[in-house]
Amino acid sequence: MEYFLSLPKDCLSEIFSLTSPKDAGRSSLVSRGFKSIAESDVVWENFLPCDYQQIINISESFLVYSSKKELYFSLCKSPILLDGNKLSFSLDNKTGKKCFMVAPKQLAFSWDPTSRYWGLSYYPESRFSEVAYFPGFRWLDIQGKIASQMLSKQTAYTVYLVFKLAPDAFDGLEIGTSVVRFVNREAEERRKARRIGLLNAQRRDDEWMEIEMGKFFNDAGEDGDVEALLMEIRRRFGIGSLLVQGVEFRPE
Amino acid sequence: MASTTETKQKKMLILKSADNDEFEIEESVGVQSETIKNLVEDGFTFVPLPNVYTKALIKIIDYLKKHANKTDSNDEEIKTFDKDFVNTTFDDLFELVSAANYLHISCLMNMLCQTIADRIKDKSPEAVRKIFHINCDYTPEEEAKIRKANAQAFEGQFDESLD
Repeated sequence: MEYFLSLPKDCLSEIFSLTSPKDAGRSSLVSRGFKSIAESDVVWENFLPCDYQQIINISESFLVYSSKKELYFSLCKSPILLDGNKLSFSLDNKTGKKCFMVAPKQLAFSWDPTSRYWGLSYYPESRFSEVAYFPGFRWLDIQGKIASQMLSKQTAYTVYLVFKLAPDAFDGLEIGTSVVRFVNREAEERRKARRIGLLNAQRRDDEWMEIEMGKFFNDAGEDGDVEALLMEIRRRFGIGSLLVQGVEFRPE
Repeated sequence: MASTTETKQKKMLILKSADNDEFEIEESVGVQSETIKNLVEDGFTFVPLPNVYTKALIKIIDYLKKHANKTDSNDEEIKTFDKDFVNTTFDDLFELVSAANYLHISCLMNMLCQTIADRIKDKSPEAVRKIFHINCDYTPEEEAKIRKANAQAFEGQFDESLD
């Protein structure tokens, strides 16, 4: 018996919606009939975050898509900008969970007062078209935060600093201290601070570098702001430039 | 006394399967199905189910009876029952999901769809074809095109098993 033909279309869409974007993508190869369901908007609507429409509505970025599946992959590949370019939004490819990057103008920096002036510079290779540019410094602290209710619920997040080192006169970054915590639980989470090796930075697909600042679990999104701090980033001789694209909150 | 017995007397329904078997069940058990509930509200006590075969109907009546007796204390027991209920072949699951859909029993539908979804996750397209008894209707060129368009979905190893 051809069960596929006897099963109501609603049941099949329901079943696909409960698999994953990857499973649905592969199901297109099963047959023409399967493909029409596996690519339907009903199914892909379920893979998108439930508040995706609100997020798109407040974005300044221009989005063109002909189906929910196309929208899903567009949001995975090309982040959109929100809130006057203070934040970027994208989706995690595998799970469809929400990923945000806080722009340099929303980050707080403190640095060695004897260092040369730093500032926001135009930089076309950044998604925000600008970076925080540090021409030279002996030490630097970076703080970024986001409201936990914006993030996907019941999800483990990792926070990264996304940066580049100018190739000129590079003298290496040294160990810093990082902490990721809920602001309203600051006291109890102070001990979470840990030393991180800045030499362990990874190269990203977009050619930027990233370094892990820490992890947290977003339960119901009712814990207020989450802040990520990276303190005492040191440069041995205080020369060479650092470019910061942002602080990214990404599902694990 | 007579009136007391009468009020205690449970209202009964007769369900008739697609292969003409009849089953008598309590109305309170049957109305968990929206389809049956609507018929009962219209005064029917004899319910023909031309889309539900005996084999699936027996299992579904079992399910409805178990869930009609849900209390605060037998939560674990029902969980175990549900787990056994879905521990069957794909063909049985498809038959059940079709019947549950026709009968509009939403909690059963959700459970069956979730079970099927969990079991086809990570399967290769070839395995999915066999499970759903589908013949591939693509030309090799079309197949290559779909693989290319969904390249990420085909990265890695997939499950070829049929259970």
